[in-house]
Amino acid sequence: MKRISVSPPVAALILAVVLFLLSGLLPNGFGSDMNVARAQATNIMRLAVFLGVIAAGQTLIIISGSEGIDLSAASVVTLTAILTYIFVDGMDTRVLLALLIALAVGALVGFMNGVGITFLKISPFVMTLGMSGVVTGAIIVITHGSVTGKVAPIMTRLIARPLSPGLQIPNAIIIWILFGVLMWLLLERTAFGRNLFAIGVNRITAKLSGVNVTSMNLLTYSLAGALAGFGGFLLVGNTGVVHLQLGQPFLFPSIAAVAVGGTLLAGGKGSYWGTMAGAIVLTLITSLLTTMQMPESVRRMVLGGTLLILISIYGRQRALRQ
Amino acid sequence: MKQSRWDALVARQPALFALVLLVSCIVINLILQPNMLARDTLNSNMRVFLPIILMAVGQAIVILGGGIDISVGAVVSIVNTVLATRVGLDGSPEEMWRYVFISLLIGLLAGAINGFFIAYLRLQPIITTYATSFLYAGMALFILPNPGGGIPQEVAALYRNSTPLNLPLAFYVIAAVLLIWLYLSSTRYGNFLYAVGGKAEAAYETAVPVNWVRFSTYLISGLMAAFSGIAITMLSGSGNADIGGPMTLNSITAVVIGGNAFSGGVGGVAGPLMGAITLGIIQNIISFANIDTWWETLVKATIIVMALAAPGIVNLFRRGRP
Amino acid sequence: MAESLSARNIVKRYGGVVALSDGNLDVHAREVVALIGANGSGKSTMSKVINGVVVLDGGQLLLDGQTVHFPSPQAAKNAGIATVFQELSLIPQMTVAENIWLTREPLNSFGQVDRKAVKARTEELLALFEGTYKTGLHPDASIASLPPDEKQIIEILKAISFDPWLVILDEATASLDSRQVNRLFELVTKWKLQGKAIVFVSHRMEEIFRIADKYSVLRNGKSVGAGNIQDINEKQLVKLMIEKESVLGFLRGEAKSEENLEQEIALEVQNLDNDGLRGVNFQIRKGELVGIGGLRGQGQRHLLHSLFGDIPYSGTIKLFNQEVHFKHPRDAMRSGFALVPGDRAKEGLLYIRSILDNLLLPSWRRFGLPLKVAQAKKEATQVGSSLNLKMAGLEEPVSSLSGGNAQKVVIGKWLMRNPQILLLDDPTKGVDVGTKAEFYALLTRLASEEGKTILLYSSDDEELIGLCDRVLVLYDGMIHTELSGNTLTKENLIAASLGASQGGTE
Repeated sequence: MKRISVSPPVAALILAVVLFLLSGLLPNGFGSDMNVARAQATNIMRLAVFLGVIAAGQTLIIISGSEGIDLSAASVVTLTAILTYIFVDGMDTRVLLALLIALAVGALVGFMNGVGITFLKISPFVMTLGMSGVVTGAIIVITHGSVTGKVAPIMTRLIARPLSPGLQIPNAIIIWILFGVLMWLLLERTAFGRNLFAIGVNRITAKLSGVNVTSMNLLTYSLAGALAGFGGFLLVGNTGVVHLQLGQPFLFPSIAAVAVGGTLLAGGKGSYWGTMAGAIVLTLITSLLTTMQMPESVRRMVLGGTLLILISIYGRQRALRQ
Repeated sequence: MKQSRWDALVARQPALFALVLLVSCIVINLILQPNMLARDTLNSNMRVFLPIILMAVGQAIVILGGGIDISVGAVVSIVNTVLATRVGLDGSPEEMWRYVFISLLIGLLAGAINGFFIAYLRLQPIITTYATSFLYAGMALFILPNPGGGIPQEVAALYRNSTPLNLPLAFYVIAAVLLIWLYLSSTRYGNFLYAVGGKAEAAYETAVPVNWVRFSTYLISGLMAAFSGIAITMLSGSGNADIGGPMTLNSITAVVIGGNAFSGGVGGVAGPLMGAITLGIIQNIISFANIDTWWETLVKATIIVMALAAPGIVNLFRRGRP
Repeated sequence: MAESLSARNIVKRYGGVVALSDGNLDVHAREVVALIGANGSGKSTMSKVINGVVVLDGGQLLLDGQTVHFPSPQAAKNAGIATVFQELSLIPQMTVAENIWLTREPLNSFGQVDRKAVKARTEELLALFEGTYKTGLHPDASIASLPPDEKQIIEILKAISFDPWLVILDEATASLDSRQVNRLFELVTKWKLQGKAIVFVSHRMEEIFRIADKYSVLRNGKSVGAGNIQDINEKQLVKLMIEKESVLGFLRGEAKSEENLEQEIALEVQNLDNDGLRGVNFQIRKGELVGIGGLRGQGQRHLLHSLFGDIPYSGTIKLFNQEVHFKHPRDAMRSGFALVPGDRAKEGLLYIRSILDNLLLPSWRRFGLPLKVAQAKKEATQVGSSLNLKMAGLEEPVSSLSGGNAQKVVIGKWLMRNPQILLLDDPTKGVDVGTKAEFYALLTRLASEEGKTILLYSSDDEELIGLCDRVLVLYDGMIHTELSGNTLTKENLIAASLGASQGGTE
């Protein structure tokens, strides 16, 4: 297969634009109305923010290699959203503390994932899948099936509303852009980031070059958990409601977004910009399907098929016969 | 590198731990439920355990060969929805058996798709079967968007009440499976399986047909998942597109506590089989322990994680010794 | 049984690297042909082409004069070709018997493996090497529990078990002790009488002259000479193998001065003991360039990796008279140690990352938060030019470099940290001759002029003799002999490597 010469994040963005234009041509689409188009584009971006933030931790873990993946991200999002909802209970003064709690709880779950994966040698897929069950169980215990609480006004103001009436860009998007810059700094301008790529490529070389692989592992999973916690905080700030399945729809797309963005599923290569582009593409696909009034089953099939096609292009491994 | 006698024993009999665990759980269960081994209770238990036992056997073989199959649960869902819609509550037994046969073909096809992508396109097993799991789950939901449908009463009753020679029907099924495995593992194919799972490059250089062996393991896994789907449909008597989802993790857990190495090449089928029964018995124990309903999910999930962690913890202690 | 196999003008590329550009080999029944070449000359690739493991990109194979094509290892096996590999083709989790008979297990009438027959035939095969191994070797032993020499014996038995007409021994004697080598050579003589042909891939001169009838030399992927072994001597063979005689004759000469004795003791090791070592003791002074010799697998890697904190050990290590016990390479690194590992692709480099990333890997902490990448690039460029690193740019992936330049990156990443103690595991393996000379000059300068302490393992005797002040020869996990000055000769090195007592000075 010929090597793709366009960098994956760029290819993803082009795909996003194409999909968006296609959606305009549909019966319920924006047609040639520029205002509606702009409104729809903004809406897509806003929806993509949450997938993008949730996929950030996923990006880090997949870069770290060794079949790293985080299937507990969705349940952590739900848990931290619920905790925030309950704790804030409509009071602005509690928001900052709620955010810290969300980050800490997420980091704790991530840390436990890291321990199981690093010390008990459990495969990341299996460990995080198991943890997601535990977190879901914890949610049921905490909520006993019903949740009372409320989002604080400042959260809605900061997340769902636009920065200024004239600009009409929801703050969430601005937060996401800042977040993207921070992620870039983390990956490309810190020793942590460089070491992350290193352990993703070759753990033995990394260790023999002085990188503490164990610490990196624990740190990465904890950080990913914290980022999922941040995602949960943002999500509840945007929607204002919580329920048990809040995070679930984001799980598979978060992995697909990372793959679309060109981050190698084998590790050692990738970027968060790619994931952001991937998040936009995936949100577009979902939105397209909704516009076409396709049922949930079709959405699942399309997502599954998309990931399959992606890994067929990007993910082929070494042949036994050279 | 000399092996201690304990190491040699465990290497020879990886299922030893599973056996000990199973016996312990049976004892605990007997204490809580003294009539556990009575004919009808035993039958009732075994037919509940059978679906996961069948799935675990297929999973064990895939894992032995160095792969893993995350899509098994979704295959179960497809089979269940097909039977529930195509045969229906008022279908005839002949139709039932016809669709049972078709279900097996579905299982083989699902396995063939997995096998093609993994063995011949050389994609990673985890992410590939994760993608197909979504694809297949979507198909199941497409076939049956809302729970409903069913199978003919006579067939369900047959499954429920069959106790040839006063032993549960499930025993015969298990015996058949074990006999088939006993034969298979004593042939060249058996050695090929362990070789490919043990060290694929070495197997390739020794002219083992690695690709074909890998492909065949996914066929087997798909087939066993189809059997599992048939069993669970006969058990529940109705259709539900989400029925298979939770089973996947259980099948992996059964294989792990059964003593099979997650990376392949070590273990057998007896261990995972015992592991599956053990998981079922643990479920029973929890019911009898009268745990608060709210806590049930958390307790079950925690036990799964502990079961997954057990081999790792045991290893840590062994490595601690000089 | 076939009578002859010829390889003509074989070309083989691995990605961008050309392993063979013109490989030729002629083998006939009842003959042993020695396939000779330095590390990286293409010897192993040649044997992989012949036994069907890799696809050839050009040239042809002729079996008894007819063109043949081996699309898989099975095809070569069917043609009666067996190979004893350098990197073993054994499954660690399976037993001796299972490994030997894999794909050719005798079956009963139900298609099941006939366990009795397997056991009996395995014991027959094991008897061929009787008396040369410890009694732990029996059909049901798991491969993982065997030491390297016994694994190699099983590899040999596996190859011979289907009665091939052509046996390729690819560095098969590397892990064997002298008794086992003798037994193997007895078997080779017997095989010749049976009508078999043998290809003996090696660079060990004594063995070649003992067992081979013909020779064929590879250099940098090309066949440069072939003929009868009687018509050539060792010196001429070596000359065919390498380009510049100056590398062979490289001697540190005056640099090996007695000033060393005045210097303080930089590194002291007492009773170093772990899986591969059984009580190693030595001292190295500052500015010394000490070599480790011995056959591969005698503990050299364990020694270097223990010093670097990569594997656990018991015993004492003192750095400038301070006791240290590193639990992780990072601790060793911070105390001024550096390790150039033996397998640069697997242990020394991040292959898909850039040259910059590789050079900076141990050192990013120094560049602040956020990383001053411009500064890092500057320092990397400096190191690169001081090593004469030929690259297209710092951002290019390290996989684009030739073997010699890639090895320069491995050394470069450590030189950026100005280490005091340099540990090197066979650093010039697979490196072209020109770069080798540069390395020798570099190491000499680091030791003599910059006062660094160097401990280096080499599988190349000439290198040890030419480069080192002293050589510690390891045998069976202990220092068997120390050779220096007058006693540092090839004969003594070889004798010590084989565990024999010193064969007189010269």
